[in-house]
Amino acid sequence: MITAIAFYLLAAVSVASAFMVIASRNPVHSVMFLILTFFSAAGLFILMGAEFLALLLIMVYVGAVAVLFLFVVMMLEVDFVALKQGFLQYIGLGATVAVVLLTELILVGAAYFAGDGNTATPPNPDESNLEAFGHVLYTDYAFFFEASGFILLVAMIGAIVLTLRERDGVRKQDISKQIARTREDAVEMVDLKSGEGIGS
Amino acid sequence: MSGFLLEYLPILIVFGIATVLSLLFLVAAKIMAPASGDVEKLSTYECGFNAFDDSRMKFDVQFYLVAILFIIFDLEIAFLFPYAVSLDKVGIYGWAVVMIFLSELIWGLYYAWKKGALDWQ
Repeated sequence: MITAIAFYLLAAVSVASAFMVIASRNPVHSVMFLILTFFSAAGLFILMGAEFLALLLIMVYVGAVAVLFLFVVMMLEVDFVALKQGFLQYIGLGATVAVVLLTELILVGAAYFAGDGNTATPPNPDESNLEAFGHVLYTDYAFFFEASGFILLVAMIGAIVLTLRERDGVRKQDISKQIARTREDAVEMVDLKSGEGIGS
Repeated sequence: MSGFLLEYLPILIVFGIATVLSLLFLVAAKIMAPASGDVEKLSTYECGFNAFDDSRMKFDVQFYLVAILFIIFDLEIAFLFPYAVSLDKVGIYGWAVVMIFLSELIWGLYYAWKKGALDWQ
């Protein structure tokens, strides 16, 4: 009963907020609705028993990707009025993508209903999703695990190479330079007679 | 309802309470607070003079770099979550695999550090 209510609530919220992502005028609001969509999708994942996916969705998509989207939206210096003007221009491309996506979804649904309706069953129903992942990820799929780590490394280096700019005239703290300073090159002792300055 | 979903029932209840409370505050503020805005009250206030610009300006690309680095380490943590619960099952082999994974990311951190990507300019 509660499960059904939760499902319909989450599904309704996710569909409505997904619609608002493309319908709202302000791109920042779009990103906020996207976050809401991610949240309700995570709730749907939990209802299906996929805890780990829900966790990933919240941690990676809500925590990181949405923030990145927000940065992009803020960095683009968007002219909102100009953004909406070319809307109809892309309708052909958009419709094509939509039709392809719909066909794929129908195919997936049809395959599910035409088959025996069974999805893959977990080998050990007692252990949680996360444990089941852990048991195979670090043993059977170790190579893919390392490869994903390598991809992350490449992504990090690529991001740094692309976006890191050295700029001049920035005063940074250089600790080794600070420590290497001696009394001799920092302090100068001058004997002054009273009434006279050191001049300049 | 299965026992697994029952564990998540408190979260659902908290979500419900949070939704109700936040809506309550919004609606209460709308109803109870006096609001008589005019053009001058609602326009952007910039300490005495008229506003030069709106707040939507270009951000520095540095923020973006920080966000990307954050995503990468966030994903790394996501990969390590299952390790926390299956530590006793995967044994020394799993430990070695995870250590190789971590060392790859540590090289990335070393590179970022050396290049000064973590310094704010």
